[in-house]
Amino acid sequence: MIRLQNVNKYFFKDDPREVHALRDINLEIKKGEFSALIGPSGCGKTTLLNVIGALDSINSGKIYLESREITALNEKESTELRLHEMGFVFQAYNLVPVLSVAENIAFIMRLRGFPESQINERVLEVATLLEIDHKLDALPNTLSGGQQQRVAVARAVASKPKIILADEPTANLDSKNSQILMDMMRMLNEKEEVTILFASHDEYVINSVNRIIKMNDGALVD
Amino acid sequence: MFKMILKLAWNNAFLRLSRTLLVIIMIAVSMSMMLSIQGIYDGMTLNMVNSALRSDSGEISIYNKNYRLDKQIVNDIQNAGEICADLENNPSVKAVSVRYSVEGLSATARKASFSNIIGIDLEEEEKFGAFSKFLKEGEISFEKRGALLGAELAKTLKVRIGSKLIFSTQDKSGDINSIALKVRGIIQTNNLVIDQRALYIERKQLYEFLGVDTNTATQIAIRTDDDALINTIKKEYSEQEVKSFLELNPLLKQMEDMMVIFNSITFTIVMLVVFIGILGVMYVSILDRIREFGIMRGIGMAYNHLRTQIFLEALFVGLAGYSVGAILGFFALYYLQETGLNLSTYAEGMASFGMPTIIYAHQEFSYYSNTFYAIVLSSLLSVLLPLRKIKHLHPIDVIKADT
Repeated sequence: MIRLQNVNKYFFKDDPREVHALRDINLEIKKGEFSALIGPSGCGKTTLLNVIGALDSINSGKIYLESREITALNEKESTELRLHEMGFVFQAYNLVPVLSVAENIAFIMRLRGFPESQINERVLEVATLLEIDHKLDALPNTLSGGQQQRVAVARAVASKPKIILADEPTANLDSKNSQILMDMMRMLNEKEEVTILFASHDEYVINSVNRIIKMNDGALVD
Repeated sequence: MFKMILKLAWNNAFLRLSRTLLVIIMIAVSMSMMLSIQGIYDGMTLNMVNSALRSDSGEISIYNKNYRLDKQIVNDIQNAGEICADLENNPSVKAVSVRYSVEGLSATARKASFSNIIGIDLEEEEKFGAFSKFLKEGEISFEKRGALLGAELAKTLKVRIGSKLIFSTQDKSGDINSIALKVRGIIQTNNLVIDQRALYIERKQLYEFLGVDTNTATQIAIRTDDDALINTIKKEYSEQEVKSFLELNPLLKQMEDMMVIFNSITFTIVMLVVFIGILGVMYVSILDRIREFGIMRGIGMAYNHLRTQIFLEALFVGLAGYSVGAILGFFALYYLQETGLNLSTYAEGMASFGMPTIIYAHQEFSYYSNTFYAIVLSSLLSVLLPLRKIKHLHPIDVIKADT
């Protein structure tokens, strides 16, 4: 599903501050995988997740989503790709504060132009799976951190993207909520057959995933 | 999707309520003040125009070709009766006034002043310009050699109701002739020429006094709503001089133009205030939410959708300000229309410009429609600069800042 070939990424290229953030990354993530990029802080996990998510550019190499080379896309095409093919879960939840839980979950589906009846049905379905169906009318700032992150997961999964990229989703959660979230994401992975790639050093994530991809100093470690 | 963008825009526009309210109040107050100033300016101009139309020229005036250069009896219109009858049959003509005017000297026992004696028919003048409404003192009557005097002339001659005066001028035979008159009424038209010089008597009496034919006139004034009528009349009475109101009152035309300039300047200043106000609030709002926009773009929201959202936010703030401003402005103008703006403190100055001391505002739909378009435009233009911030925003920058 996702294929990375000799991916290199530098920050401050040709500058005394140059950092070689990703070194010759070759990686394949198959459809339906529940995997995690792990490694110490600063090893390049988030950078790798960002380049896979077409959020950041690379200096050399190629990245494919199925047969489509995402590194060759312009900004508009990248935005389209993120909207239609990918789901994102961030450490800081990043919900839209002025929209209700239901509207946040429906956000991507509405941008993609799904019919309202389908949106309503799907929002309820995902919210029920993630046990936030009783909070559908609430605003994000009235929810706990765990609930907000579940809304973020629901938003990412609702439009049935090909892959969900989750960057440190449990970083702001306590252990109980981290475990609940990981259980739910695993359930989504199994039930919805959605491919999920985490970047994390949280033990709950490491213990929950099927595949661990270790990184150190910008390179994959066997 | 548009419904969602609309909701996002609406909720965000009023998210920082106090900040948004401040801009709304700023727009509303400046807009209502602008409407009031515009109404007062237009009221002043219209008042002067209206006075000149009613008391003198009408929309069109006909003179003998030589009369306006040389105001002698010989330069009168010889077939005034026929012209008047023709005009009265024209459906575009609302009213006609036939006047005979001669320059001369008005004198009392102690004072004398150069003046114009004007022979009129009261019934005609009433229909022409509601003449009785000009009455300041006394009554509208020509009984027993009665005369009506312009207010300034009455002041100069120091006459009151019931005072007697003598008007002397050259009659048709070339002799100096005089007529004794009794002041029945004092009129104030706010038309300086009339107020300073006019001495009205009955037209028939003036014909008799001057020894001129009753089929003559020095001016035939016409009221009409038909702008094209002047061309018809010019063609039809090519042997006479036919002039439009604006040709006869170039100063009023200049004043009208000046008021348009004043109004445009006020309008521009207010729109700049609106522009800067919305620009400020939108810029700060966008900077506050830059992370949110970055994330939205990151998860796939297109720039076009964000641009629509921001335009709508600015529009909501602008239109909220417009709505409050329009209501405030309407009531302010309504008050100024009904009660007027009392400038009696500056009575002398106002009188020297031929203006009444109480100015009644004018109000028309275009004030509101023009302001509406301008506020919509200002609102939309004001977000162009803040939008550049979003256009050049890379989602990765805010996502990195987040982690």
